[in-house]
Amino acid sequence: MMVFPFMLLFAVFFLYPIASGLFYSFHDWNATTSTRFVGLGNYQRILASRDFEKAMWNLGKYIAITVPLGISVAFGLALLVNSFKGFWSNIFRSAFFLPVVLPAFLAATVWRWIYTPNFGLLNMILGWFGMGSINFLNDTGTMLYAAIAVDVWVSAGFNMVIILAGLKNIPKDYYEAARLDGASRLQQVRYITIPMLYPVLFFVTTYGFISALQVFDVPWLLTGSSFASYGGRQGALLFPVMDMMGRGFGSLRFGQAAAYGFILTAIIMLFTAAMFALRRKGYDR
Amino acid sequence: MTAEAITAYSNPARAVALPFSGWALLKWITAACIAIVAVFPIWWMVNVVFAEPGTPVSLNPRLYPTSFSAGISKILMIMQETDYMKAYYVSVAYSLLTIAGVLIIGSMAAFEFALFEFPGKRILFATVMLSLMVPTAVTIIPTYLLTASLGWLNTMQGLVVPGLASAFGLFMLIQFMKTIPRDMIEAARLDGASHFQLYRYIALPLSKNALVTLAILTFMKTWGNFMWPLIVAPSPELYTVGQVVGLFNSPYSHQTVDIVMTANLLAALPPLLFFLIFQRKIVEGIAMSGSKG
Repeated sequence: MMVFPFMLLFAVFFLYPIASGLFYSFHDWNATTSTRFVGLGNYQRILASRDFEKAMWNLGKYIAITVPLGISVAFGLALLVNSFKGFWSNIFRSAFFLPVVLPAFLAATVWRWIYTPNFGLLNMILGWFGMGSINFLNDTGTMLYAAIAVDVWVSAGFNMVIILAGLKNIPKDYYEAARLDGASRLQQVRYITIPMLYPVLFFVTTYGFISALQVFDVPWLLTGSSFASYGGRQGALLFPVMDMMGRGFGSLRFGQAAAYGFILTAIIMLFTAAMFALRRKGYDR
Repeated sequence: MTAEAITAYSNPARAVALPFSGWALLKWITAACIAIVAVFPIWWMVNVVFAEPGTPVSLNPRLYPTSFSAGISKILMIMQETDYMKAYYVSVAYSLLTIAGVLIIGSMAAFEFALFEFPGKRILFATVMLSLMVPTAVTIIPTYLLTASLGWLNTMQGLVVPGLASAFGLFMLIQFMKTIPRDMIEAARLDGASHFQLYRYIALPLSKNALVTLAILTFMKTWGNFMWPLIVAPSPELYTVGQVVGLFNSPYSHQTVDIVMTANLLAALPPLLFFLIFQRKIVEGIAMSGSKG
């Protein structure tokens, strides 16, 4: 049977880790001492910890901005690209897509230089307008927004491509008919494009939530984190996956880290379920 | 300019007479501005590398490369005096082995799933598809612990093997192989082709497009994978490009901006080249993953 190699690897490196992770999450397990059953102790300790609260608070703000902003930008870009024809449509699509090609770790490192205080590119541009230098990555008031900007810069092109594919599937006649009925451009978007794109927008939003919940590379590198110290000044860029990794590899509390993974998964599942419920409601209307 | 001329100039009704309508002009300006925002950081990286060392990064915004030879000497310097090339080698090996593994294992499984019936097929398929919804966050720690207990920390197999059973890849290949006509398989079987020959001489050649797309997407993902190498291969022997770039950029790095940017640029080069060559395939692959999801 030729499915065997795939299924073997899948069982060993996917199914087994989930099962063992569940086991670890109920144990005090730190790689050196023997395992000790602690019941829900790991979960309680995480939920009560200040880092968890901080990380969740950051995540909430981050998601509330980055998902709607990211999707709106991507949607706008798709409409923009679609309004051009032939050569220029391709050129702009490529340009908008280019940041997606860059690995996230590179996007973060390049933007770290752009954000540099005093002589960084962004501060220089702000300087032209007479604004003082802002230490974007060390000022707790701006850090989150700096990370969001990088995230939108990286992910907008990705979502744009998916939305563009959806736009291509909308029959041209619909717009023709709407134009004959005297619908304005804005009305066409509102009453044809958005409803027709509903499944695509749904996918992009759900996927955006799931990946935003697990954000790691960008804030980790923007803050120059290591397992010894992460999250940036006052934990202003501390996110759940960073917290989880820190508990595992920083303080070697793998039981807690495993439990953390399950808490995150539960949140993601709840979110996804809520999204699907909303979608069904949308269909019923 | 007279008052009338100014009003005429700023009057929207007058603008219609121009080759561009006001709307179109706005569209072009917006598109151009966004394109600059999207591309400039990357272009800027190139300009910092191809400039005399010591030129302030900042004070001119570095709109264009100023010294080709300085850039080359920085690249040579980083290749000869740091362990960057070793990391490059590790990243290339990591990517190629992952691509080979994902394609071989995935295509074999997809062949069975797409074209044949076998006991337990539905439940296996459902399990694999469900796994697409399980976030990496829940598996990464236990997978690390498993890899560690196998004694695979700081080894190439530790980097590569846990990532080979790609549910996404399997799904994509199944979708593609489903379109292979059954008659073709039947005819070949009547001609005496073995099961493996059906796979090797019919399924594989006919799925070439999907395989190429999957290979490119896998390359992008593996080359850009930061988290897994960071925890599974923390020894300098197996640093990937991502880790080295992270170190060059860390607050304790002793490297100058020029050198750091050169490291960044070299890391960006393979995916950028891939993009230039395979743009259509990449875009199609991503669009497909969206429309099918």
